[in-house]
Amino acid sequence: MAEKYIARSSAIAARLLGDEMMVMSTADSTFFTLNEVASVIWQAADGLTPLSEIVAAKICREFDVDQEQALRGAERFVEELSQHGILLVSDKPLMDSSLSLVSR
Amino acid sequence: MTTTPSTTAHEAVTIEIGGMAIALRTNDPSFGRLIEDRYAGFVGTSPGPRVEFDIDLYESSQSSPADDDLKVKIEAGEWLLQRGDFRARWNPGTSRGQIRQSRSPYAIDCVLRIVHTLVLARQGGFLVHAASAIRGGKAFLFSGVSGAGKTTISRLAPPDATLLTDEISYVRREGNQYVACGTPFAGELARVGENQSAPLSALFLLEKGLHNSIEPMGATEAVQRLLRNVLFFADDPELVELVFQAVCEFASLVPIRRLIFVPDQRVWDIIR
Repeated sequence: MAEKYIARSSAIAARLLGDEMMVMSTADSTFFTLNEVASVIWQAADGLTPLSEIVAAKICREFDVDQEQALRGAERFVEELSQHGILLVSDKPLMDSSLSLVSR
Repeated sequence: MTTTPSTTAHEAVTIEIGGMAIALRTNDPSFGRLIEDRYAGFVGTSPGPRVEFDIDLYESSQSSPADDDLKVKIEAGEWLLQRGDFRARWNPGTSRGQIRQSRSPYAIDCVLRIVHTLVLARQGGFLVHAASAIRGGKAFLFSGVSGAGKTTISRLAPPDATLLTDEISYVRREGNQYVACGTPFAGELARVGENQSAPLSALFLLEKGLHNSIEPMGATEAVQRLLRNVLFFADDPELVELVFQAVCEFASLVPIRRLIFVPDQRVWDIIR
């Protein structure tokens, strides 16, 4: 199965409050609240690290979950956010993507 | 026929809301008086208004309905504001603009709200659908969608509370605190707020219930609900981000609580 690379769109505003990340599309004001696991994936979405590696290094290790199960969950999450244009997904590294800034 | 050059007297009425002055210049004295009456209590005398508009009136038969879609966009550094009953341009660089509108005061009201939201967004503040009042030197906001109880809570306010508005509250950032300012933007009470301000102590999100209580609220829910009530008109991603960050900042500095209340004056006993 092809690797997926993910990067945060620049057309979003994001803010970490407590353990939860709030993300809003600046194009259509769609608002998402990401839980702790989703926030970790979101923050690791640098366009260069394969999704499977993010899951293995950040999710399985930190949250003690099975790799296959975690990857399926991550792919669903990525699919949903990409449909709203706030995560960019590619089968190649997203070298030129302008990463969004996340305020704390 | 006269060959003498003539001038038309343009009267300016300066409206000061939240400490920001907007001068409205019209060559129609009766419309000038209409503005003065509508914004009584907010008509200022600042020597140097921050924003100036020239108003060009036309007969209302030439206009489209006021409920036509509002459009606010920036083009070549100039904001363009348009609705059925008005067209306006405003250049933030020169602080000058023009409004072409029918004689309806609602057009002016809308332009004022938009200009304040655009200016406030860059200063970390916002306008929000909320009643607000000062009591004991502290300001309180009561926010909610239409029907949530803004007018009711305003009507129940005790005599020692100063009502800033029953509809649109003005929130300005000052260092690490926020200040609520009175506005002339009235709701069902049809009463212009008092032109006063005070440090903001709390924001309550209104919910009608069977008892009076104040309950905590998670930060993300607070931000999401507050965002729904913040006035924002511009189709501009940069400003959307500024408003989003302003609301997040606000939520990190000002307590936001759920206020469940019955329409009874005792609700004010628990507002501190």
